[in-house]
Amino acid sequence: MAQQEASESAKQVKSKELKALSFIIFLLFPILTITGISAYGFIIWMIQAFGGVVAH
Amino acid sequence: MKWFINIWRTLNKPAKFLTLGTVSLSAFLMGIIFWGGFNTALEMTNTEEFCISCHSMESKPYQELQETVHWSNHSGVRATCPDCHVPHNWSRKIGRKIEASHDMWGWLLQTVNTSEKFEAKRLEMASREWKRFDRDNSLACKNCHNYDSMKWDSMSKLAQKQMKRAAELDQSCIDCHKGIAHKLPDMGTSRAPELIAQVGSGESAPQAEQTYFTALTKPLFYNDKTDVEAGTLNIATKVKVLESKGNRVKIGIDGWRKKIGAGRVIYYDFGLNILSAQLTKDAALEEGVIETFEEKEDPMTGLKWQRVEAQIWTDKDYLVTDLQPLWDYARDTYTTSCSVCHTQPDEAHFDANTWPGMFQGMIAFVNMDQDTQALVQKYLQEHSSTFDKSAH
Repeated sequence: MAQQEASESAKQVKSKELKALSFIIFLLFPILTITGISAYGFIIWMIQAFGGVVAH
Repeated sequence: MKWFINIWRTLNKPAKFLTLGTVSLSAFLMGIIFWGGFNTALEMTNTEEFCISCHSMESKPYQELQETVHWSNHSGVRATCPDCHVPHNWSRKIGRKIEASHDMWGWLLQTVNTSEKFEAKRLEMASREWKRFDRDNSLACKNCHNYDSMKWDSMSKLAQKQMKRAAELDQSCIDCHKGIAHKLPDMGTSRAPELIAQVGSGESAPQAEQTYFTALTKPLFYNDKTDVEAGTLNIATKVKVLESKGNRVKIGIDGWRKKIGAGRVIYYDFGLNILSAQLTKDAALEEGVIETFEEKEDPMTGLKWQRVEAQIWTDKDYLVTDLQPLWDYARDTYTTSCSVCHTQPDEAHFDANTWPGMFQGMIAFVNMDQDTQALVQKYLQEHSSTFDKSAH
């Protein structure tokens, strides 16, 4: 593994790191956040549907 | 998959070229942009333009709203769709937004895309919304309206009395104020599912010479075959089964009628406006349907009454042997429905002929189908001071 990395040029590594960062901040985290919020909303909906009033 | 493993590897070790500053600053900026964008999009779905971009929302609820005080009034404040239909609290709002994804199915499958379909589902949709208001103790209303800010002096005496009582209990507004922003659904057209569930659909095979009570308002027919209706048989009416044929039974209805017109309405007893059956004019005049007996004059009205017995056919369903379950259901309904807005008077507070006027005057304020209405009215009449002498 160390050898593989050593064989990569500095330019390649830089582009990889930029890609990884963009992936995280533009795709992964927004998707996770929206999924999380939706799941939260869904839970609230279900609690209200089956459990009646929720505290607010 | 391979690119993902590559990214994972890169993410799993310290960056060689990207500085900590670049990483944290970009994350920080993206955080702001994302959250801002998210809330902007959320607010976009919370505007009236968004709601009425659906034809079914624009054509019915939105048009109806424009005829109400929530659209235009002397204070110049108006309510938009989300003001009442989306909770303002963030968590509850998200919950409601996800719940509303269910409406997307309605849009895709065109559940309410025509006026007829909308009207057919109006009661169901309104009931769902009332249930929501109920659950929140009308929080949506109370976001703007506040019991503490009400100016009692500018209300009528009657309104003051009702509102002050409601304020003490922090009562849910929707309890009394239904149908104020959109049209009230037509409650009368549906049968009474709860009543049927509680009382049942009657004997499977009513026996001849036995007496039964009607558990719903039933159609009357000329004979055991025809679909031509000869009138309606009121709920909780005592009938005697004379003969049974297929799905029909011939019944005898004892009662009194007023000697005016065709005399097509049969009442429970002399001088009492308690409905047993209403025949069509043709049926009332038909040979052999009504047998007449003695006559008496009602001193109160000067009207002549005549004792009658009608023999006519009806479907054999919804005939029960015991009247008590019907009265139990009626008493519960009367107690719960009427006590929402005021203390309901005792059954024996009025007499049998006063109750219909009292009851019909209040019926617009509650959600009661026609069968239940007829049953409760009859319950009140037959438990009125006319029959219960203990009260006054």
